[in-house]
Amino acid sequence: MIIESRELPLKHNISVKKTEKYWKGLEEGKIYKTVCKNCGKEYSPPQAECTFCRCETDWVEISGVGVVEAFTTIHTIPKGFEWSEPYTIVIARFGNVRVMGWGKNVKVGDKVRAYTAKDAAGVWKVYLEVV
Amino acid sequence: MRKVGVVGVGCSKFGNREVTLQELAFEAVYEALNDAGLTQEEIELSVVGCVGTRTYEFMPAVPVNEYCGFVGKGPIRVEAACATGSAAIYTAYTSIASGIVDLAIAIGVEKMTEVDTATSNAVGGRAGNYLWEFHQYGTTFPAYYAMHASAHMAKFGTTEEQMALVAVKAHRNAAKNPKAHFQKEVTVETVLKSRYIAYPLKLFDCSPISDGSAAAILASEEKIRELNLDAVWIEGVGYSSDTSNMTRRENFVGLKASVQASRMAYKMAKIEDPIKQLDIATVHDCFTIAEIMAYEDLGFCRKGEGGKFAERGESDFGGKIPVNTFGGLKAKGHPLAATGIAMIYEVTKQLREEAGALQVDLKNYRGLTHNVGGTGHFAWVFILKR
Repeated sequence: MIIESRELPLKHNISVKKTEKYWKGLEEGKIYKTVCKNCGKEYSPPQAECTFCRCETDWVEISGVGVVEAFTTIHTIPKGFEWSEPYTIVIARFGNVRVMGWGKNVKVGDKVRAYTAKDAAGVWKVYLEVV
Repeated sequence: MRKVGVVGVGCSKFGNREVTLQELAFEAVYEALNDAGLTQEEIELSVVGCVGTRTYEFMPAVPVNEYCGFVGKGPIRVEAACATGSAAIYTAYTSIASGIVDLAIAIGVEKMTEVDTATSNAVGGRAGNYLWEFHQYGTTFPAYYAMHASAHMAKFGTTEEQMALVAVKAHRNAAKNPKAHFQKEVTVETVLKSRYIAYPLKLFDCSPISDGSAAAILASEEKIRELNLDAVWIEGVGYSSDTSNMTRRENFVGLKASVQASRMAYKMAKIEDPIKQLDIATVHDCFTIAEIMAYEDLGFCRKGEGGKFAERGESDFGGKIPVNTFGGLKAKGHPLAATGIAMIYEVTKQLREEAGALQVDLKNYRGLTHNVGGTGHFAWVFILKR
């Protein structure tokens, strides 16, 4: 015998004020990392402060050509992405940092460039395209 | 610091279980109490491990603790993703080693089948850094290990066939374990022909979604002598962790946290050559590639040679070190918080020579548990000695 629990849909309001530059940047085609003003440690994803120096970081655009280090294609689609066909997640290195994004037909070692666009659900994100 | 031993272990049947969370927990607790010959009254502290993100009970420690008969003796609730069980063992261990209590129980319980698969995937996908990963890119849990597999294959030539062999071994062992989720052997061909979940991982490369519980009772050396209990001693403890964001890892061909946790435990237990000094290992094989990386990270073989280690049968019965003799997470099942304690259960049974058809040969009477939370977000290693 099964009793169904009362429904509780969960949706959270996430405060991203400290990283607003990143999220707004995606809409302008820019992908940011941050660099510690003191020790030079680079953060991707970015954070507004350096964890170790306890000081502010500078916002620096990521550009140029990256190299694919890992990827996968998701065939079992999770809740929240029901609208999508199987999608490929790629991690590529750009200098001292890495960037995650969606891509197509990649393999490890491929050279990629990063750009931003809205996905079919209207969320701005990073795409990594083989060059 | 006082010596601590495992004096009682219990483990439920893993699988799709038609009981509530607390009823499931009690199955393991009941067995552990009987195994130790102790009553709830004698236990001074209970630690309840439950990830709890797929069950209707959001704050599960109290109902579990009450049903198991430990009201007033804790509970301390712990959570370390898939390594929650090991965090529970550690909490019980340190409580005893420090001299605060003499007898403690660690309980790990998970009900994972109360939600549908798409929801379960979305919950598991949050085992990293939600905002930067799942929210943006839909990283399911298999995705994390699949990305590691892609890097391992590219760098070392590890093949899908080698990964399939890990699944075949797991199913062969689980077929002889009545508590395992699956009791059916599979062939390499079945594994290779199964559908992709997250390329290159296929259905049979993945551990199933299982309900289950496990419990272990730990005691101080004084209490063990006083009550004349049969103990398996905790000789080594190691832990570590890594970044929540995959983009911030050192590389994708291994889990740094596993390397660090194992070296910490080896140092404490004075292990210089794990292959020679251990008779049995349980490693965290939530996916087949995870077991291959574990062979390397734990020092059973050199980095990059994990695929060949599996191919040569070195981790099978009669090999250099039998690994996951009860079927592993892969085929026995992986009810998150139960897993780390089910590993303690397995190694304890093996060291006491109570493993029946799955008994390994013992030379050193020493075994290892390796439990990973997330994708190397947490790692725990325990060394047990009889």
